Amino acid sequence: MTDLTATLLAPPTRVEPSCWQAALDEARAALAGLAVRRPGTGPFRITEHEIRLALSPAGSPAGAGPGSEAAFAWSARTARRALGLAAIRLLLDGGARSPLEAVRARLHESERWVSEGSACASQLDRWIAGLSAAGRGAAAADAVTWTTRLWCALDWAAFDAAPVVGRDRWWDSPHSALLALRGRAEVRCAGGHLVVLQGRRRDSVRSELALVALVEALRSRSAAPPGRVVGWWPDSGHLVRLEPEPGVLRLATDAVSLVLAGGVIAPAVRAAA
Amino acid sequence: MVLVAPSPLVPDAATDDGTRSEVPGVPSGRDLLALLRGDHAARPSFDPGLAGGVRAWLEDAAFETASVRAERAGSLMLGARQILGTATTHDTTDVAPRLVDRLVHALFRQLVFGCRIEDPLGDGLDALRAAGDEETVRGVAALGGPARAALGTTLDRHIAHLSALVPRFAPGWMPRTDDYVAIPLAGGAVVLHGVFDLLVGIPQSGTASLCALGLSTGGPWPRERRTLHFLALLELLRTGTPPFRVALLESATGRYGVEDISEEHLRAMAAHVAGWLGRSDTCA
Repeated sequence: MTDLTATLLAPPTRVEPSCWQAALDEARAALAGLAVRRPGTGPFRITEHEIRLALSPAGSPAGAGPGSEAAFAWSARTARRALGLAAIRLLLDGGARSPLEAVRARLHESERWVSEGSACASQLDRWIAGLSAAGRGAAAADAVTWTTRLWCALDWAAFDAAPVVGRDRWWDSPHSALLALRGRAEVRCAGGHLVVLQGRRRDSVRSELALVALVEALRSRSAAPPGRVVGWWPDSGHLVRLEPEPGVLRLATDAVSLVLAGGVIAPAVRAAA
Repeated sequence: MVLVAPSPLVPDAATDDGTRSEVPGVPSGRDLLALLRGDHAARPSFDPGLAGGVRAWLEDAAFETASVRAERAGSLMLGARQILGTATTHDTTDVAPRLVDRLVHALFRQLVFGCRIEDPLGDGLDALRAAGDEETVRGVAALGGPARAALGTTLDRHIAHLSALVPRFAPGWMPRTDDYVAIPLAGGAVVLHGVFDLLVGIPQSGTASLCALGLSTGGPWPRERRTLHFLALLELLRTGTPPFRVALLESATGRYGVEDISEEHLRAMAAHVAGWLGRSDTCA
């Protein structure tokens, strides 16, 4: 079993149920207050990206502020995760035997959907279908690398049940239709959530991962804590492991609060991160 | 350089340093594949404690470097170009070699995955556009007619060599290109980084099971070879085992070489990196 698989599937850390419930109640109350007091207008969707921006020091590439971000455009780099996740699902279903075959199949699917005018066709599919053969080759090359790294990093046979691959989960505030939180994870199983990280190691990473745990806890109908969250940098092989403890909920709530307040780093959040 | 070649594949006209020059018109991708695969039983083994020892060594050196750098100076990003020495025309502001390098690398990735290249310059630009490399695309667009024609001719030569040299990998070999490695040391104050142009093989815990291919568009050969040793060191730090074999392809000439990675290579490179970090001018 690979180290990453073992970390993801390790037995859960025991948490005192009353402590967990108290922390969850506290988080719900804090978020209710934030939803009501939030300044400005329009919907506010908080993802790990906003948390990274809010917690990054001013002057760093991630902390340059939302206004400094370049407009999104599809490229081989921005498409690789979406293509890679689809490829991993295909591999798990037995529809392909290697990352290369799986990515090719996904690209063909895009072309077919667009040419047939299928309702399944997304912006990404239309971008792929509009590429020349060489352009598609470049997109495939990036996606194959992304897919191969994740496919080879986990021992997929070790999962008791088929893991969920690449489904983002949202929590919509019951107190304001404008506030929503997103938990992003590439692989989810009963014991935990694997988040593929990129870029440099940064102080904000624990808060980013804590958001995944917070969203899981808020969505759950069970009183039990969610699985652990494991962050993994394929570039370096490093792991960050976040156990679902009461402090994790506070860490995430503080980070959300910081984002909504406009990004001034609170000392407690920085220290916790 | 040690050429790993089973006797039927030993080239007739090997150069003094054991590398082989491509014979025009004679495809050798299959030869290269055989060299990469080699004799399974003869693959080198590595001390399981090597990665930990090398990391500790480099961490010590990096902490010394970090301690004399200003806290707000940010990470010291170190690639092969900084650590392995002098820049060549390839690294300077001379535009054409950089354009050739970017285009050849983009086309190399196409060849690895079995794509046909009919118009090297046009296909290369399409690939770079999809990759979001607008700087290179603009650089080519800014060339005058004769310079663009010269670029096309140069590119044709590189791609002719690569078309013959690059093997057709079975998907089961898990070929992946542009695999970026970044190893933070001293809590991220120093980051060693590099890119494998091509990795093949399935990672196996505790066993060196990968081959790495480097693509050189301009040399010099000894530095490009050492770059592969540097990348092997990074892979050792990332996964605990290095690639067991590396190959270097020189697209301008069709020359290639294959060698096994040994613990001596890794120790020598680690010593070089540690020494570089310890130099007084490192922090400048």
